[in-house]
Amino acid sequence: MPTQPTVSFTDERLANGLRLIISVDRLAPVVAVNLWYDVGSKHEVEGKTGFAHLFEHVMFQGSRNVAKAEHMALVQAAGGTLNGSTWLDRTNYYETLPSHQAELALWLEADRMGTLLDALSQENLDNQREVVKNEKRWSYDNRPYGSWYEKLQGHLYPPEHPYHHVTIGSMADLDAASIEDVSAFFRTWYAPNNAVLTVVGDVDSDAIRRWTEQYFGGIPANPSIPELGDLSLPAILGEERRETVHDKVPLPRVYVGFRAPRFGDDRLDALDIAAQILAGGKGSRLHRRLVRDERIAQDIALVPLGFVGGASIVAGWATVRPGVAIERVETALHEELERLGREPITDDELARARALIETEELGGLSRVEERADRLSMYATLFDDPDLINRMLPRYLAVTADDIQRVASEVFRADNRVVLTYLPELPPADTVAATEDSITPIDVADAPQAPDDEEVAA
Amino acid sequence: MTDGAVQVVATRPTPGTPRPYDFPEVERTRLANGLSLVVANLPGRPLVSATLVLGNGAGDEPDGDAGATVLAARAVTEGTERFDAIALVEASERLGAAIHADAGWDAMSIGVDVPATRLEPALELLAEVALHPTFPTAEVDRLRDERLNDLLQAEADPRRRADEAYSATIYTAGSPYRRPSGGTKESVERLDPARLRTAYQRGLDPARTTLIVGGDLAGIDLAAITERLFGAWGSSFGAGSTGLVVAEGAVRERFVRVLHRPGSVQTEIRIGHIGLPRRIPDFHALSVMGAILGGLFNSRLNTKLREEKGYTYGAGAGFDLRRAAGPFAARAAVNTEVTVPAIVDILAELDRIRDEPVTDTELKSARDFLVGVFPLRFETPGPVVGALAGLVIHDLPDDELARYRPAIEAVTVDAVQQAARSHIRPDAAAIVLVGDADAFGSDLEAAGFGRLVIERDAGPQDEGRDEGVQEALGPLDEGSGGPTEGGEEPEPEPTTG
Repeated sequence: MPTQPTVSFTDERLANGLRLIISVDRLAPVVAVNLWYDVGSKHEVEGKTGFAHLFEHVMFQGSRNVAKAEHMALVQAAGGTLNGSTWLDRTNYYETLPSHQAELALWLEADRMGTLLDALSQENLDNQREVVKNEKRWSYDNRPYGSWYEKLQGHLYPPEHPYHHVTIGSMADLDAASIEDVSAFFRTWYAPNNAVLTVVGDVDSDAIRRWTEQYFGGIPANPSIPELGDLSLPAILGEERRETVHDKVPLPRVYVGFRAPRFGDDRLDALDIAAQILAGGKGSRLHRRLVRDERIAQDIALVPLGFVGGASIVAGWATVRPGVAIERVETALHEELERLGREPITDDELARARALIETEELGGLSRVEERADRLSMYATLFDDPDLINRMLPRYLAVTADDIQRVASEVFRADNRVVLTYLPELPPADTVAATEDSITPIDVADAPQAPDDEEVAA
Repeated sequence: MTDGAVQVVATRPTPGTPRPYDFPEVERTRLANGLSLVVANLPGRPLVSATLVLGNGAGDEPDGDAGATVLAARAVTEGTERFDAIALVEASERLGAAIHADAGWDAMSIGVDVPATRLEPALELLAEVALHPTFPTAEVDRLRDERLNDLLQAEADPRRRADEAYSATIYTAGSPYRRPSGGTKESVERLDPARLRTAYQRGLDPARTTLIVGGDLAGIDLAAITERLFGAWGSSFGAGSTGLVVAEGAVRERFVRVLHRPGSVQTEIRIGHIGLPRRIPDFHALSVMGAILGGLFNSRLNTKLREEKGYTYGAGAGFDLRRAAGPFAARAAVNTEVTVPAIVDILAELDRIRDEPVTDTELKSARDFLVGVFPLRFETPGPVVGALAGLVIHDLPDDELARYRPAIEAVTVDAVQQAARSHIRPDAAAIVLVGDADAFGSDLEAAGFGRLVIERDAGPQDEGRDEGVQEALGPLDEGSGGPTEGGEEPEPEPTTG
């Protein structure tokens, strides 16, 4: 059995609360600088959805000593790559550079953490608002089946829960975002004591400490970062929720979504292994039955999405082959998921899943960028960066019983959302199609070449 | 809104001393049967990457068999003389490995990523797949049907539709690049095990095959393993692959082709013409020019369309360099209302990169990016093996990667402009759009970009002023298809900047 190299690191705090994690690795002449802020779309309030992400874009529009888009220019001209991303629980910013350029990334991150508002202008906000609206169109609104994830998340979390809305937000809320909103958001959340800075790679720890103190040390903490409150939810949804969506797609598709244990709960580890056994590649149960043996699906997927507040999501889908009744695909999907809760998996299935996860972990941890992101993640979400070394052992400790137990808890009819995407009917027939029911459709009778596709916005 | 309590440092840091970097040492040997072995030992990289590169790509397959090579690559893991598909996938999963076989325009590759401790049994499976595939009828039928369904799905996806329509527009009917590498509905329907076997055997020649392995190979006698697994491979069916690809441009003057997609909230824009093959003398100047025009975040196109105008989430341009001339395209997805102004801006940038020298800052930024990012790209074995495969596929010299950084450093302002003037032709560019023509059709007509064809459900409607369009565009009802890899799935993930 291959052994995973241990990631060694130091973990300390500046006086202003900034958490600094350093992990030296001399293998390649590269460095990853990674900054997680403990703020995500779950911190948004009604009427201001999409704000954390819009704000992330504004973070590239300049600060006191950096011009608009100059952050990108400086990092790329230094031979680096960079990006930022926003998700329900957090926002991150990251640069990967030749190691002799580490100081540049620290200086850039400090300048915007301290002085973003110096450069904030209505013009830049308006510009990035349009960019983000085009991102929403590109990623969701102008894609076949593009609305599924928003619908799934909306069904799985109640309207008053901060996970009810998706990170990209709504067009109306993006339109309403004001410069005062941006300022207030910055002052509330973008403080050193709400962030974790991780540096991984070919660096001298003392130099990183010195630069971090020099650049970030003068940024004051925010002593009153709001508490989010109780996000807990019933473990299961309590009912089956169904929705039928008519979209101009050539093939019907069934999506399923379930509430799952929170990220960090070891039952979610077991569910990760379960997802591997069900849908991880061509040896998996769903692929074998639906795609290979019965040939009723074009493709299948099942993905756990871990969140720390209340409940995670397991989402999956199967695209229905032409001429196949959708119910048959949906039934087979449910049967395979529920079978996992009734019958133990075989020793061989478990061994194969473990071997694949081992390879995946080895691959993920081989890059400084990924290692830095995971250290920041485990520190931000669990106050425990050493989880980076304990996740693989946790996965390898999952037993057949653990998998059967979590599958029986999660894959139940009263804990699921079912979305059915159907090709749009010709106008004369649309009357017959009822919402909230599964309408069996033989694709041979539906429009085959949807040159006139409309999107469900 | 300066906050006086905040102390940051105004002085920008200066870079430290770069640690010397060289592309990893590579050892090249050859078996008696002609098979090449290329090995990069990368200490500290226990996840090994191995790829067998075969000489048959989709670019030189006969028209009637279009898609056979891509489908054959998918089928080699569906059954061999020793294993059926399930036995094969289970055997590789027990090793923590997934064997993946793919064909593109220029070559086929069969690869595996696996911990070094399990490399030998993984290579045994790889050899079994490469040398003894059986192309079972039932599995080939299924894969063919999946490809046909994928072609249906591609029609609904504006991005794939735009890419496919663009290729079909810029190449002549005799050019394979005109169609998707995975074939069209008409050609895929004809595919069967015999055609796949023929397509596969075009590449089965040890003298035109290379095994590339990268990773921490301490204590592993790769030469002996390779000899044991591939040494007896002597048969040579490979005469059917010519390596010659016809790539002719169909665009003589600028025109606009619109695929109408009612209600579309964005327009997918592709502007350009056929580009270049990989083996060209001015490759490095072309790379720098491409970065400035449409590669860097602060490229001219992205700066104009995204950071100044807010028309798009991202705009770019690039050359797809293949064995023969692949496409050059500027691309963006813009909100429907700004379709015409976005085209104006893109065309203006295509003119400007030809007409004006780039600034010294632009030149330096692009060169420094390409030189600096080089070691980042090769941090792990997978990309190292991929780059070495590129040398094999394009018949490039062994020192091509070692030469890369000095060659980029040497690119001048003049060389950039020369590359732009030689290889970018805005006056003879096709403008291909997938979007709601009802929303922008009349503006498009008024803008006078060139002849205009709008294709609606009822088939193509020539809204231009002269009759030469059909000849320039080629048949408009030719089937379209999708990328080899099938439809991309919108897996939920964090929203990135």
